[in-house]
Amino acid sequence: MARLLGPLLVSPALIIILLLFMLPLAASVIGAFEVEAAYGLGNFTKAYDFSTQDIVFTAVIVGLSALLTGLLAIAIGGYLTLGENPTAVAILRWLYRWPMFIPFIVVGQILRTFLAKSGLLNSTLIALGLIDPLSATSYLDWRGVVIAFVWKQTPFVALMVAGAMASLDRGTIEAARNLGASRLRILVEIIVPQVTTTLLVGLVLSFVTMMGVLSVPLMINAQAPTMITADIAFRLSTYRDYGVANALGLISLAISGVAAWFYLRVNMRQGR
Amino acid sequence: MTDDAYLNLRGIDAGYSRTRVLEGIDLSIGKGEFVALLGASGCGKTTLLRTIAGFALPSAGSIQVGDRDVTRLPPDKRGMAMVFQSYALWPHMTAARNIGYGLRLKGWRREAIAARVAEMEALLGLEGLGARKPSELSGGQRQRVALGRALAVDPDILLLDEPLSNLDARIRLTVRHEIRALQQRLGITTIHVTHDREEAMVMADRIVILDKGRIAQLGTPQAIYTRPASAFVAAFMGAENVVHLDAICSGQRVDIAAGPLFRAASLLLDQPAPASGRLEARFRSERLHLRRLDEISPEDGNAIELIGRVEAVVYPGGEWRHTVRIGDGSVLVDGTEALPPGTEVIVRVPTNGLFLFASPVDAPTGTPPSATDEPSPVRERLTA
Repeated sequence: MARLLGPLLVSPALIIILLLFMLPLAASVIGAFEVEAAYGLGNFTKAYDFSTQDIVFTAVIVGLSALLTGLLAIAIGGYLTLGENPTAVAILRWLYRWPMFIPFIVVGQILRTFLAKSGLLNSTLIALGLIDPLSATSYLDWRGVVIAFVWKQTPFVALMVAGAMASLDRGTIEAARNLGASRLRILVEIIVPQVTTTLLVGLVLSFVTMMGVLSVPLMINAQAPTMITADIAFRLSTYRDYGVANALGLISLAISGVAAWFYLRVNMRQGR
Repeated sequence: MTDDAYLNLRGIDAGYSRTRVLEGIDLSIGKGEFVALLGASGCGKTTLLRTIAGFALPSAGSIQVGDRDVTRLPPDKRGMAMVFQSYALWPHMTAARNIGYGLRLKGWRREAIAARVAEMEALLGLEGLGARKPSELSGGQRQRVALGRALAVDPDILLLDEPLSNLDARIRLTVRHEIRALQQRLGITTIHVTHDREEAMVMADRIVILDKGRIAQLGTPQAIYTRPASAFVAAFMGAENVVHLDAICSGQRVDIAAGPLFRAASLLLDQPAPASGRLEARFRSERLHLRRLDEISPEDGNAIELIGRVEAVVYPGGEWRHTVRIGDGSVLVDGTEALPPGTEVIVRVPTNGLFLFASPVDAPTGTPPSATDEPSPVRERLTA
């Protein structure tokens, strides 16, 4: 009786995972290889023909966003750890988390009005006399997507990184200060190497999140090339082409997989 | 040491927001001297070291090194290097890179750094370990790497923040002597923070005892051990046995009337006695004489004799340690011979091991004077 109780208690969760997650995933994976009642790579060649540019675009945009997110997170975490002005540190600590609580679709909305040709950014730059009204351009292209991703993801990674930095032995920082290291050197040579693992976890999670965002490319970058998510949505809603959509999904899974593999490799090396 | 003082602290106050941790610290340390800051946790010794190092700024007072005022200088401009309690080695760097980091910051050439690191490794017995990460070193080796990192930059003053507290007891004893020998060889001015009395005694030229952010006493290990300036210092230096008694004092003379707990005595101290009245007498458990109550002692009277009963006896090694109940309290007494529990005894405390201080006002009353009418053979006067 007692031996049956354990599996019985786990079963509801297990069944939900199997029915709602594993089964659809398997169906999608199989669907990706299904070409008119037979199996083959037809969907992939189609996906490749239609969307090579978009696949590359997605990988580059998300990679670049992750890189910038990482740099900003290090800067924020570094200032929170090493900042000498308590007021500035307190303000930053209070401010930097807010974007985390704003959904991607709202981020898209906000940045649409902010980055448009006659948006707030351009009007401010013109008012400040930094650019000429005639040369004002819209940022609603790949740059807008990167800005949206970085703006939304930085707080999350910064939160993780700042936490890891705060739990470091303060002595390791003071020892470097004692020997004359500048704050920048302390950040780059002492602090960041000690929080690499956390930083990478944050970046890989961000990378995977950004890979799956549909609203931002649709709202900010409604042109070609665009991101894989937009292609998948388009395939499904316009053509009901489940095969190619599944193939594209599998490709973005593979790109995420590369990020995860990279993380695991670094993690293993650190653990050794 | 004030004539050739090298490091001078004048009226240092320090603290966090509202709590004051240090108050009016004046301290002069000579060049090449090894000074231990000794005190219980929370006494301010680490804060004092961090203030000297420049990690904390004093709210008042000044710090001078030679004729340079360093009070407001950043930590790296003071010519001081610190060894942290946790060692604070950088886990992502090898031992050699840890040791050479300070030199890299100074812009030394790679070959020069390698040569200096090799010199440090040889000095500290770390040969062949340079390529290891801190996680691959033992506690003692890490401690030496931390020491090497501090010494590599050739500081004027070495600051040690409880560098031995993370080592296990056996290694600690040898490392004490190693650090002391190294300090003597290099002739480097050293300030060592510790809460371990014996460590301070065997390592330092002079000891600063801190209590609640103030210097309770400053002197050579011997002076502090044999002439504690206050009851606090006496207790801290191991004189933890305490009895309270009434005495009439004049000059160096102390007269104690007999009571139920002790015999009358007339002492001649080698220093001025405290004022007459209630005294706190402190003594260590060593170098006392313990004998049965009915035994006659041939010794002279320059001692107090306490009357009590053995409660317990244990053997910690060396001598037998007796717990002797005296009135409401009890004292620890070492003796060569074990006396069984229940034995009525006399504990004889010679003046050279007895520290007398004016009793704090709220001290417990050890001997009610009204109890003198009780007939007792121990009431006989033992004046010399």
